[in-house]
Amino acid sequence: MTATLSVQSTAAMNHNWRIGFRQTVAMSKRSVLALWRQPALVVPSMIFPLFFAALGTSSFGRAINLPGFPKVDSFLDFSLAGTIVQGVLFGSVQSGSALATDIENGFFYRLMAAPSSRLGILVGRLAGAAAYGAFQTLFFSLLLLPFGMSIKGGPLGVLIMVVSGGLIAIAISGFMAAAALKTGSSEAVQGIFPLVFIMLFFSSAFFPRQTMSGAYKHIADFNPISHLIEGMRDICIDGLSSGAIARAILVPIAIMIVSFTLALRALAQRIAAQ
Amino acid sequence: MRSASALSTRALRNTRRMPSTFLPTLAMPIFQSIAFAGTFFAITKVPGFPTDRSINWYMPLAVCMGAAFGGVGLGFSAIKDMENGFFDRLRMAPTPRRSLIIGPLISCYIRTLVVVTVVLLVSIGFGARPTSGVVGLAMLYIAALGLSTVSAGWGLGIAFRFRDMRGAAIMQLTLFLTMFLSSAQTPLNVMTGWLHTVARYNPATNILRLSRQGFLGDVTWDGVWGGLVALVGLSVLTLWFARRGLDSLDR
Amino acid sequence: MTSPIIATGLARYFGSKDEPIKAVDGVDLEVKEGEIFGFLGPNGAGKSTTVRMLTTLLRPSAGQAFVAGYDIVKDADKVRRSIGVALQDAAIDPLMTGNELLELQAVLYGIPANQMKKRADELLERVGLTAAADRRVGTYSGGMRRRLDLALSLIHQPTVLFLDEPTTGLDPMSRLTLWEEVKRLNSEGTTVLLTTQYLEEADQLADRIAIIDHGKIVCEGTPRDLKAQVGAPTLLITVATHLSDTATQVLKEFGDMRPTAEGTLGVGLNAGVEAVTDVVRRLDEAGIRVQHLELNEPSLDDVFAEATGYRLEGAKQ
Repeated sequence: MTATLSVQSTAAMNHNWRIGFRQTVAMSKRSVLALWRQPALVVPSMIFPLFFAALGTSSFGRAINLPGFPKVDSFLDFSLAGTIVQGVLFGSVQSGSALATDIENGFFYRLMAAPSSRLGILVGRLAGAAAYGAFQTLFFSLLLLPFGMSIKGGPLGVLIMVVSGGLIAIAISGFMAAAALKTGSSEAVQGIFPLVFIMLFFSSAFFPRQTMSGAYKHIADFNPISHLIEGMRDICIDGLSSGAIARAILVPIAIMIVSFTLALRALAQRIAAQ
Repeated sequence: MRSASALSTRALRNTRRMPSTFLPTLAMPIFQSIAFAGTFFAITKVPGFPTDRSINWYMPLAVCMGAAFGGVGLGFSAIKDMENGFFDRLRMAPTPRRSLIIGPLISCYIRTLVVVTVVLLVSIGFGARPTSGVVGLAMLYIAALGLSTVSAGWGLGIAFRFRDMRGAAIMQLTLFLTMFLSSAQTPLNVMTGWLHTVARYNPATNILRLSRQGFLGDVTWDGVWGGLVALVGLSVLTLWFARRGLDSLDR
Repeated sequence: MTSPIIATGLARYFGSKDEPIKAVDGVDLEVKEGEIFGFLGPNGAGKSTTVRMLTTLLRPSAGQAFVAGYDIVKDADKVRRSIGVALQDAAIDPLMTGNELLELQAVLYGIPANQMKKRADELLERVGLTAAADRRVGTYSGGMRRRLDLALSLIHQPTVLFLDEPTTGLDPMSRLTLWEEVKRLNSEGTTVLLTTQYLEEADQLADRIAIIDHGKIVCEGTPRDLKAQVGAPTLLITVATHLSDTATQVLKEFGDMRPTAEGTLGVGLNAGVEAVTDVVRRLDEAGIRVQHLELNEPSLDDVFAEATGYRLEGAKQ
């Protein structure tokens, strides 16, 4: 991004890295603090997924015996992964909207005007999102345990899920950040929410793909959200197989690469437009 | 009565001028019908499920949600009018207060009729099949119009008491919870646990049953009367709630 | 003929029973037929609250009022039929056009269908909005919105018109245009009650004025009488700060001190304008140099200051 490396001494470079790091940490803290101070923002990403999980368990409790349904003791085992990804998705839309608001009300340009790391602004926000995503994963996992849920992968499985949750958050937030930087409008980003919601439905978030049929099944099969969820889900239901772990970690990373690139490009465009 | 129709015309005209508020009202039920039917496709295989077409089960739910949120839209418009001061002008006019409620309600009915018809036609395109002809379809329309009335009364009542966008959030949340803590996703005989207890007493379960009469078999009096009683009772309550709220603005 | 507006002991309280906020605290007023009555006071004095009560938008906590001969509480409907109201923020729907709003208003006021268009066109012409009538009101400027608001308030040809701060926020041209219109309406027989925070507006338009402060009327009368009551012209001087106490002692010999802006001293000259030379001589004898001197005939500003003890915000000094 910055092309001035060649004229700087190693010491100065280290110094810049350190400053950049501190700024990034500061920005991530700010993202998290924003959520802490405005609990109402937290509702869509925390309450709704849990509500749907609770609803689903009671509504579809009998469905776990259907042909095609993976073997589970409780519907919650199945739905935990979907619940987490739901929460992370909604949380990402929120974080993208917050970035867009920063742009709208000019705070973004204040950051630009300060001698702060350009990258730090983006990375900070994504790091904050990752922290929140990891937190949501842990919170949901622990919260649902007393309700009959069990995670086959045990504590190590939970750890991997938490990492996965953080990665998924970065992956999705990357897209949202790209949208925010491109449009600079929080209303536009909020408008993505219904689309995210729709994509969530056309996936295996709420019910197994194997039980779907026809064109609908095809869509769910190709929907990246299905694959984001299933890695985590397999850890819950089947335990720590290498396949499950690979999916839980690698799929989000793959998506993250794409979304981060998009976000970087959008950031560069916005800075250049200054 | 002239005033009511003038206010109704205004509401419809304003809807036309801001289509961004109406399109979601139309798109969401269509989406919901298809998405729920597709995602929970296998639910029909659970023993005791009343139909083997998942869209037959979920389309009436989508219609009912659409009708309910359409009704709440009246509350949104009222809040907007209060925020920009236009509502004062309406209140100062020497028309009977009830036309301030009835006028927009008429426009709401018209919108609901459009939404129900469109969702019905699209769902039929996706495989929904009515099982008891015109009478069954009539039940769907009755349920939708009834729900619009109930939610309109609720929305307006909340709007008159809160007078700002907090009211909008409350309206939507309460409606959402009421509609989902019922036989929305599965019939009573399939659900288990706490939801079953709640859904049994939720009038929304009866109303949904009414709306599904035309898609699960024959229309029976048993399936109908609970919903009608719920609709009439709730409509009276919420419209009274709205009227009281309107009167309280003078205080 | 009963006066179009009569209020006795009108009051409105907000908040808790133990510590109520007295927005309006016992207002008596009587507006005679055919006059323009000005209700003058700073922000928060209770003007708008009083108007809202008189126009049936708010119920009084205490007291009574009769507008157009009808009780505002018991016969609210009849009051509404007889009055036109234009409130502080133009009460319009931005999505509708001027024509549509007038049409809606006409229907709401029960104007027969065959007269609606004629009345609407007349009013649009009157307020100068004929060209913009088919544009959405959201695109109108602030002045245009006020004018439409006025047209809306006149659709049913009311005999009593309430205007709440009709020119606040308007540019000087629009303000003058509105004043002309109000005078014209009044000359045609409409009784007008207008609230304002602008002394000049009250001075220019009103036949009689009441000054309201902290929910109570502090004085009432025609502008001329009120100014005459204040009587003495105000002498304003500026002196060096360390001499201001001495200067004040000198000035007090000539009349009562009057509240003024920071850095100036003001006194009402009981003996009139001729006393100026004596004042200057006495100040000179006391060794006080006058940096600046100004002589003002009594204005509503002085009336206000006398009545309330402070100067109205935004008024000229």
